[in-house]
This record gives sequence, structure tokens and C-alpha cells, in this order.
Amino acid sequence: MFLIFKRLWQVNWAEQWQYRANLLMYLLYWLVSPIIYLAVWTSIATANGDVNGFTANDFITYYMVLLICDQVTSNIVIHTFGYKIQDGSLSGELIRPIHPMLTNALVNNIAFKILTMFGLTPIWIILFFLFQPDFSSVTLTGILLSIPAMILAFLIGYLQSAAITALAFWTTRVYSIHEFYFALILLFSGQFVPLPLMPQVIQDIAQYLPFQLMLYYPIQLILGNLTTPQIIQGYVMTGVWLVISWLIFNWVWRKGVKKYSAVGA
Amino acid sequence: MHSLKLIYAFLKMNIQMSLAYRADTVVNILLNLMWLGWELLSLNIIFSNTQTLGGWGIGELIALLGVFRLVNTLMIALIWPNTEKFNQSIRDGSMDYTILQPANSMFLVTFSRITVWRFWDLILAIILIVIGINMSGDLITAPQILTFLLLALSGIIVIYSLWIVLIALTFWFTKFDNNVTILQALLDAGRYPATVYPVWLRVIVTFIIPIAVATTIPLQALRGELGFMQVLIFFLIGIASFVIASQVWKAGLKRYSGASS
Repeated sequence: MFLIFKRLWQVNWAEQWQYRANLLMYLLYWLVSPIIYLAVWTSIATANGDVNGFTANDFITYYMVLLICDQVTSNIVIHTFGYKIQDGSLSGELIRPIHPMLTNALVNNIAFKILTMFGLTPIWIILFFLFQPDFSSVTLTGILLSIPAMILAFLIGYLQSAAITALAFWTTRVYSIHEFYFALILLFSGQFVPLPLMPQVIQDIAQYLPFQLMLYYPIQLILGNLTTPQIIQGYVMTGVWLVISWLIFNWVWRKGVKKYSAVGA
Repeated sequence: MHSLKLIYAFLKMNIQMSLAYRADTVVNILLNLMWLGWELLSLNIIFSNTQTLGGWGIGELIALLGVFRLVNTLMIALIWPNTEKFNQSIRDGSMDYTILQPANSMFLVTFSRITVWRFWDLILAIILIVIGINMSGDLITAPQILTFLLLALSGIIVIYSLWIVLIALTFWFTKFDNNVTILQALLDAGRYPATVYPVWLRVIVTFIIPIAVATTIPLQALRGELGFMQVLIFFLIGIASFVIASQVWKAGLKRYSGASS
């Protein structure tokens, strides 16, 4: 099994490396909106002194950490896998004795992620000097606690996106469904603004959804803003959602593969 | 007149193409409404925490959202589909047939694909502008409306020209098929007044990838914040950028030698 993963890694790394220019463009595309939100909210906080207790520095540190968390927990499986179901090139992968979604596509996604991390690092350092955040509340324990939380949150998001991608077995409109899913992330994860500034009803719903586990929760962990019970609660929620996402994905995938009949069959 | 006839023909063709995918059109319109809802909600969140953003109130921001959506429509209805077709034609050499046609090649390349249903976005954008201006309570005079239209037009021309330059670069660097991503990436900066951005970002969105020239500046004109000289300068920038873009396109076309040679 280890050998399989090693070989998959080599292939996918080489494949992603080939597209490094595209990757840089993707990175730029993805960087812009957090930076705009940062600019908007710091300008409001500076003008008013603070926003509901959030100072300009709180916003700067929030979005600077968000850039990292989002990079770790997001995934691109809809773009790398959806077309395979539609054009039938999945057939070749299905006859292999390994799960196409949980091996090849997953490794491909991780290779992509690590390469974009290399691109993000210098940009992040430049932004650090431009915005000069004060990271004094960050503790080593917080960072260490956030790493497993982010990896598990990535798996949750990956399984959910993979389940949506697998809907391509039935419908050609998976990209529209995924767009809707993406809007849910935007609404409930704390991507636009730290969750406490969202309307109360959104905060109440967000508590029970997996999306805040992808951004708001790890960001707060790193910034050292959580109490011990809150940290435990977050981990419990992560565990529960991981199980739910796994069950959903497995169910959709099994049904889908049975339904699958490749182009030309 | 010739080009108007061509646009009419392109429109007819594209309507026929999109009628084949009626259900997709409905889904797309629903998604578009969902994003509009999100955009209004995000403005609501911002203004429940502050009175003004960079000196602008919520009415002005809604109007700005309308102007932003105009540029966004240009991007989605025209720039993306045509760029895709253009990149393809450079790779497989079908650009040959475009050049052989008895019409301006720049015109053909940039107008042959039109996502027709996006036109309803234009109506939505105009509604947003009107509602926003009404909410802001700004007193608008006829000359202000005229300068707004003038600068909105010249802003759109600036974006269009930049697009031409970006895709013309493909004549020199064939593998440059990411040519408009940078435009799309910075587009989001047009949602908010450029005055709230830090200086370096403001410089980028005003001078390098001039999104703000098509969003913030026309709206400033509508609010009567721009003097006569400024209006003149921005209008001249629009004309100059179009002239430059046409020259770059011509130079690039000379480099083109088909896919097999």
C-alpha cells in the first residue's frame, strides 16, 4: 500500500509541476478576495476605532491566518475529477484495484496543495511586511492543535466535494451544485468576516455545520482565542462530521459506480 | 453598419445555441440570483457595523455593485467565451479561417461568442444603480449622468483594450492560455470603492489592471466628485488604450504563422 502511494505521489507531483504557471495564476485568483476583505474591514475598524470589539489588528491577523487555513483545508476535486465521469475516462481507473477517488485523486490534490504552498509562502511574507500584523496572541500549543484540526477539516471538505463530484454519475449539472455548496462555505465558514460579525441566525446555524471547522475554528485555534471546552467541542464536531461525510460519500459513490455506464458502452 | 449586421448575426447564432440548453439557463439564472442575494447580504453586514465605507454610504455601494456587475457581465458574457475559442484557435490553427474572412479580425475574435442570457444581468445592474442612487439621496444633475455614461463607456473600453492586449500576447507566447485569469482575479476589487484600499493595491487596480477605472471612477463622476479636467483625462485614456490595443493586435497578427508551419 505504501508503495502504491509513493508511486502515485511521483506521478501526480510531476503532473502538477508541469502546470506551475497555471498554479501561480490560480493562487493569485484565490488570494485577491481575502486581501480585499482585509482592506475593507481594517478601513472600517480604523475609521470607527473598532467593530464590535474587533480592532484593525484583529482583522489583519484573522485574514492573514485565513490565507493559510484556506489553502490547507480547501480542495479542487470537482475540477480534477468531474470531467472523468462525464467523458468516460474513469473506466480505466475503475478497473484498477485501488479506489480512484481516495487514492489517485486525493494524492493529486495534496500535490497541488503543497506546490501552491510554495507559491504562497513568499507572497505571505510580502503581505506580512505590508500589513505588519501583531501576532503576539499566537501560541505554539495553538499552532500544534490546529494542524490535526486542519487536516481533518480538509478530509471532511474533500469527502463532501467528492460526494458532490460523484453526482456526475447522474447529472451533468454537478458544477452548478458545487457552486451552491461553495456559497454555503462562504456563508457559514467565516471566510467573508469573522463569524461573530455575521447576523445572529447565521451564527446559530453555523455552529452545527461543518464549514466553520474549515476556517473559523482553526483560525481561532491558531490565534489562541478559544477556551479548553471550546477546543474540545471543535474536535468532537470535527469527528462527528468526518464520520457523516464519510458515510455520505461512500453511499453516493457506491450507488454511482453501479449506475455508471461509460460513453460508448 | 457592416459590424452591426455582424453583431446581429452573432447574436442570432448564439441565441440558437443557448436555446439548446434551456434548463441550464434556468439553473444559471437561479445561481446568479443567489449570488446577488449574497452580495446584498454582505453589504448589509458591512453597514450594520459602520455608517460609511471610505466616505460612501450603503446606497452608493449598491450603485457601485451595479456598475461592478456591468463589468462582470462583460467578463462572463464576452471575454471568457471568446478567449476560450481564441486560445483554441491558436493551438489548432483554426485562426487561419478567421483571418481569411473579409472583416476586421479583432472584431471577429472578440464578438463571435456571446452568452446571451447574461443580458438580463445588464437590466439587473441598471436597477441596482437606480435604487442605489435613490437610497443615497444624492442630488443628480443631467451633466452628471452624462459624464457617468461617458466614463462608464470609456472604462469598459479600457477593460476591453486590456483584454485585447492580453490575448494578443498569445501570438508571441503560444502557451500563454491563462491570459485573462489575471483580469478575473482582480475584478473582485471593483466591488468596493478603491479609496478604502491600501496605496499599493489602489495603484494596481487603477493603473496596472485598471478595474477601478471602470467601476469606482464612473460612480465618482455620477456623484459629481470629478472636475472637468479629470473627466477629460479619463475619457482620453479610454481612447488611447483602444488605439494602443489595436496596434498591439496588428503587430501580434503579423507574428501569427498558423499551427503547422
